[in-house]
Amino acid sequence: MNQDDKLKILKDILLQDEHEYASGLEDKIKALEDLITEHNNLSKHIDPILEQKLKQFVKEMPSTLGPTITEALKEEIKNSQDAVVEALYPIMGKMIKKYVQKEIQILSENINKSLSSTFSFKGFMRKFRSKKSGVSEGDLLIQDQFKSKIEQIMVIESGSGLIVSEYSKTENIDQDTVAGMLTAIKSFAEDAFTTDVQNLEYIEYENYHIHLQNFSKYYIAVAISGAFTATYRSKLEDKLLDFAQNIINKTDLNDSEVFSTKLKDYFDNENI
Amino acid sequence: MKISKKIVLIGHFGVGKSSLIRRFVEDTFSEDYKVTIGVHVLKKEVNLPKTNDDITLVIWDLEGNDDITNTRASYLMGTNGFIYVFDMTRPATYEKLEFDLDYITDRYPKIPLRVIGNKKDLVTNDFIKQNKDVFGRFVDFYTSAKSGKNVEDVFSNLAQALIKDATK
Repeated sequence: MNQDDKLKILKDILLQDEHEYASGLEDKIKALEDLITEHNNLSKHIDPILEQKLKQFVKEMPSTLGPTITEALKEEIKNSQDAVVEALYPIMGKMIKKYVQKEIQILSENINKSLSSTFSFKGFMRKFRSKKSGVSEGDLLIQDQFKSKIEQIMVIESGSGLIVSEYSKTENIDQDTVAGMLTAIKSFAEDAFTTDVQNLEYIEYENYHIHLQNFSKYYIAVAISGAFTATYRSKLEDKLLDFAQNIINKTDLNDSEVFSTKLKDYFDNENI
Repeated sequence: MKISKKIVLIGHFGVGKSSLIRRFVEDTFSEDYKVTIGVHVLKKEVNLPKTNDDITLVIWDLEGNDDITNTRASYLMGTNGFIYVFDMTRPATYEKLEFDLDYITDRYPKIPLRVIGNKKDLVTNDFIKQNKDVFGRFVDFYTSAKSGKNVEDVFSNLAQALIKDATK
């Protein structure tokens, strides 16, 4: 055994641990190389993490990005109002045009229907009304199309704003809340003008007119669709006063069922 | 027969009146503070399990007022029950508690009133003990609109008193 062999044996003995460590590292690097270079291997590990992150991002997007996007949009709209108007104008124009066309079409169909009944009893009555009042038959026809219609009647306790009784053909609003808010608006308006004792008597809300008839312990709110003319208003007031004076009595205020029945019987026929 | 009662919440600005109502009616809470302008009316139908009575509470959430004498009297007309709310973390909201409560009871002597120390989640029990001279004398419930603690109980308790009055 020469000197070199002895040295080699000595090196092997001394560096055995390092060799093993280096060999282990080599294996690990090889495994990593395989993982990265083999697409399927990599996606098997990465895909679930990405999927989870994506799900979390989508879930949190409204709260994290929402305010930023809203703020950016607000700013953008504010800074480029002309551009927004220019972009929206044709769309809005088309929408309005389409809506008006549709409404005119409905009106025209209704008028045609009425005209086709020229020889009916209604037709004769219209002719008679036209001759008597001097208003053309065409105007009367159009008037009929925009006829006032009672949508809902609510009898509301003054002050508390609690519903005493209610009558409507279509039940689609939260009466208790509406009665409360109407009373709050009424109270505010009446408080604001303290010069004299006055009552709020009328509120207009888009296509609805809300007539308020005030009595001492309660008031009656009548929601009307269609045209709300002075003549109609006067007739409605007479009818409400007549109802309060002749139909209901003090005890009815404590019995909402009896009150509702009387209300329904009296206003079921809407021809005022 | 349907029983409806008007409940009015009074108190300083930002004491949590709207949050308490929101917690009670919708069971939600938001940290965003939106000041109430004028009045906001909400309602909730409540069943009282003890007596199995149904009652509709029409709740008026009045705008906050640092001076109770400035509260619009017309909003208080016809009220069946009051809830006075103050914020336990802001002494300014309960410094004049006795005066405010006297103001209500003098004008509406027969109307049930419940006094609420709100924002319980922000104070410790020790803090409540330290302030027992004020809190102990007047407060009926310690609530937290944020956690929902005691909120349901306040309204149920008042509703029970109103039912009792109605059936007398």
